[in-house]
Amino acid sequence: MRRGALMILAAVLSAAMLLTVPGPAQTKKLVFWTHWEQNPEFNKFYETRGKEFAQKHGYEVEVVTVPYQGYEAKYLAALVGKSGAPDIFMGMTHHWCGQYDFCDKMPADLAKTWDENLPKYMVSVGKWKGARYGIPIEHGNFQQMYINADMFKKAGLNPDQPPKTLDEWLAAMKKLTILDAKGEPTQVGFALRHKGHPVGITDKFLPFAHAYGARMLSPDLEKATGFANSPEMVAALQFYSDLVLKYKVASLSFPTPEDAFGQKRAAVIFRESWFFGWVRKNAPEVTFKVYALPCGKTCPGAGNLFPWTNLVYKNSPNKQAAWEFMRFISNPKDDLDQHQAQGILPVWTVNLESAYVKSRPDYNSTREMLRQPVPPEYYHPKSNELATAFGEAVVAVIYGKGEPKPLLDGAAAKMDRILKD
Amino acid sequence: MDRQRRAGLLFVLPALVYFCLVFLVPLIQSIVWSFYRSVPGGTSTFVGLRLYHKVLSDPTFWQAVGNTVTLVLLSVPATVALALAAALGLHRFRSLRWRSACTAMYFLPFSVSLVAAALIWQWIYDPVYGFLNHLIGFAGLPPRKWLQSLELVLPSLALVNVWVRLGFDTIIFLAALQAIPGEYYEAAGIDGASRSQMLRHVTLPLLNPQIVMVSILELIFNFKVFDTVYATTQGGPASASQTVIMLLYDTAFKYFRLGDASVMALFVFLSLLLVTLLQWRLFRRQVEY
Repeated sequence: MRRGALMILAAVLSAAMLLTVPGPAQTKKLVFWTHWEQNPEFNKFYETRGKEFAQKHGYEVEVVTVPYQGYEAKYLAALVGKSGAPDIFMGMTHHWCGQYDFCDKMPADLAKTWDENLPKYMVSVGKWKGARYGIPIEHGNFQQMYINADMFKKAGLNPDQPPKTLDEWLAAMKKLTILDAKGEPTQVGFALRHKGHPVGITDKFLPFAHAYGARMLSPDLEKATGFANSPEMVAALQFYSDLVLKYKVASLSFPTPEDAFGQKRAAVIFRESWFFGWVRKNAPEVTFKVYALPCGKTCPGAGNLFPWTNLVYKNSPNKQAAWEFMRFISNPKDDLDQHQAQGILPVWTVNLESAYVKSRPDYNSTREMLRQPVPPEYYHPKSNELATAFGEAVVAVIYGKGEPKPLLDGAAAKMDRILKD
Repeated sequence: MDRQRRAGLLFVLPALVYFCLVFLVPLIQSIVWSFYRSVPGGTSTFVGLRLYHKVLSDPTFWQAVGNTVTLVLLSVPATVALALAAALGLHRFRSLRWRSACTAMYFLPFSVSLVAAALIWQWIYDPVYGFLNHLIGFAGLPPRKWLQSLELVLPSLALVNVWVRLGFDTIIFLAALQAIPGEYYEAAGIDGASRSQMLRHVTLPLLNPQIVMVSILELIFNFKVFDTVYATTQGGPASASQTVIMLLYDTAFKYFRLGDASVMALFVFLSLLLVTLLQWRLFRRQVEY
């Protein structure tokens, strides 16, 4: 009995000593949340460089990839709760720093570095009310025209001479569409987005709207009526719905636009710069070329609804280290290495003429898109809600629920209510 | 407090703590938030009943309510009726082995995660490659757009819900059928009752508690359905399948309007409570074997 008690005492003392004896210096961690699940190599780069950063500063980087579906809820719960929140997270500045107050302002020297090294159209990305919070991470986040070269040839079209105007484009789409005996398309010219959340529907429709000279909101982002339902917007939506309902060069029966293009059921898709990596991986037999979007009254230009940035959480106890890490990777080499590893376009202006970028199939189209006037931006804190209201009207029209004018009038009124609220 | 009462309290304490943390606290929080325009990470402003007026006068909200009610009306009676039919069929099996095998088959979809079930059905419903269009093609029927059709999206989703829930309800009915003493049927037989009369005058009245319970459970499940809709249509096409819970989710976590979402949550809670109490009151019969 006494022996047993002694053994227990010895075990407890040993455990206590083990717990109190200082071990080797522990590396601390910066937790980085991203929802770019489609870009694993890009995300891994933070961890790789984090190891080198740890040697100097004692902080490693742990990347947590949050699934895109419903990421907002997870971010929100963590950022409100504070405990368990990331030190750095990926998001849109106008949401997380504008609608909410979760972001730490970027140190002035780092902000200056970024302002001086971004392409002109991206300078506003990552800013809220003139102050820089976020580091833009995605260049080429605007749609370009991917064409299936074989399908073009088969339809008697020259894949090296893409349509430049919307009229030429529509004529090409008609040639590329094959209808069955019942008049339903078995192959379409254009892979149109008709499924999913209305925000995505809006995103895919906006290049058409911009090509018609329309804009979703007033320049000061305070009014929708007169813009979201302008005659130009009505004409753009009429053209868009005619693609489905009148000309049948796009189909609501087909799956997602990416799948339709990858399965050679659609000859043309409008997608961002990351898409060619997707095609090469998922549909390697598709021979494709990338061109600038066709122009209408004006050219759609390089614009987007989703300006992704990296942000530092203002309540993070490690925010100084987080900014140091950001500074550590804010240079042209890291920018190129990280984006090249994933096969996406780098962000720094100096890298846009690198050998890597020049070798990409979207090099010329990107340059051409960047030469076009910068289209309207909608970086409003309520952009999700506004784009939903607008997208609901767009999708209702393409599903034949009504005419563009009354549906856009309704959407504009709803958007104004959202803006005023 | 005597020892027995203390022991009783300790036994229910874990469930009570769980209930308070997971249901009661969020419910109270929702009630409070429904009176505030709150900005997470920022300040909240008391706005009285303004959010109630805003939500309850929004046509989008009522469209979502309409979609939800339609889904409930399509799913609940079908699930309960089919489950009852399946249970009656299974109850007639003489071989215990076959009965168990068939019961397990019915139950399998219930054990599948709702998102996985939704993805399976998305493939079945695919207008181009889908199994269902392939199947109806044999009957000479034209292909349908199912989940991409304004008219068919809700019936299509209702079918998924029926498929998922059928096994669970069948098991409950089967267990209840097995508990009905055989003497009742023997007595009815001696009195000259036909099978349909036995069903109407013996089986169904004795299954009343289970029918009411299953109907309530199905009502709650279908009213709160989210996973299948989110994974397949995200409320589309053109909001034709947007349910209240989908709208609530978007309002809270896409538009970050926690006050508005709280009003919707309370609406769902009170509606379900009211309908459940009504169902209980109107259809519940005391049954004694």
